[in-house]
Amino acid sequence: MTDSEPHRPIVGVVGCGVTGSRVVAHLAAEGVRVAVYDDAHSVASAAARRVKGIVLDRLDELTACDVVVLCQPGPHADLAGLLIDERTTVVSVGGDLDDTRALLDLHDRAVLAHVPLVVGAGMAPGLSGLLARYLSGQLHTVDELHVAIHGTAGPACARQHHVALGQAALGWHDGEWIEPPGGSGRDLVWFPEPVHAHDCYRAALVDPLLLHRSFPSALRITARVSATRRDRLTARLPMLAPPHATGDLGAVRVEVRGAGPDGARLTVIAGSAAPTADLTAAVAAATTTQITCLGLEPGAHSLADSSMAALDLLHHATRLGAKVQEYTGVGRATGW
Amino acid sequence: MKMLRRALVALSLAGAIAATLRVKGKGGVPPQEGGWREVSVPPR
Repeated sequence: MTDSEPHRPIVGVVGCGVTGSRVVAHLAAEGVRVAVYDDAHSVASAAARRVKGIVLDRLDELTACDVVVLCQPGPHADLAGLLIDERTTVVSVGGDLDDTRALLDLHDRAVLAHVPLVVGAGMAPGLSGLLARYLSGQLHTVDELHVAIHGTAGPACARQHHVALGQAALGWHDGEWIEPPGGSGRDLVWFPEPVHAHDCYRAALVDPLLLHRSFPSALRITARVSATRRDRLTARLPMLAPPHATGDLGAVRVEVRGAGPDGARLTVIAGSAAPTADLTAAVAAATTTQITCLGLEPGAHSLADSSMAALDLLHHATRLGAKVQEYTGVGRATGW
Repeated sequence: MKMLRRALVALSLAGAIAATLRVKGKGGVPPQEGGWREVSVPPR
């Protein structure tokens, strides 16, 4: 890798699929030098060619980068650990529960190496955490956080959602972790335009784990994913139909309940809807560019953490296309 | 014949109760306002 422009940071992107290729495009548009790696060399070459980036032949070449964004199918923890040991900042868009726990366990290694590690920098987790932090600013105290997601990015993301629906879910309920069965707890959720209403169910999703770190005083934290009857019926089987090759329209909805300054009970809701890969890429690229510009203290972080506030990520994610919508139908007394 | 009379009485009673609820009930209407609106997130 030649280093003809030493003052411009180099960002490595691992995985140039539906999401990774969009991250590469965003980063290049932000003026960042991009180095890409993909197991399929032709895919990496195509992504690099579009932005005049560098193609890496081996994973160990990533250690020359200032920041590495992990967009490949999980798990991410092993590679993240290797990069951290080489003092390379890591941003992961992964959303697998076990993988995320393993990434969080890298906190001490990241502190020792004096580099930050950002966990869950996608749509959910990721944008969901940014929205939760944004909404919490409208409340005096936060008691409950409820996340719902719809849609998938690339095929690997779709497979992960399929598996998650068949595994034990994770929730924080009145001060203790609960693990209800995946596919239970149906809730009709009204997502932002143009996704509208979908039945959502519990699944092995990461958001409760990360949001509890960021909002330790919240009493209840849940996450649900939209699913059809067929999804629930076949969740414990291999996927019967191939996933969308290019992903589909997605949405995230975050509901925060708490109290206002006068003690009144309040519920505030926000969300975003767009192609899932677009939302994920906007968040991942915003996180990466802000870290390269402003830096971040060593250790593991999620986007809802107060330590991330200085990066102003929600603003930069919206600048890259993740439009935020707020729900305005709550808090109005009716005779219903 | 006795069964038929009982059925007619039951149907009449059900109709009367339904009509009373329909006229006197205070069901109101679901919310007709509200929805999603895009918000701008200014820099901090």
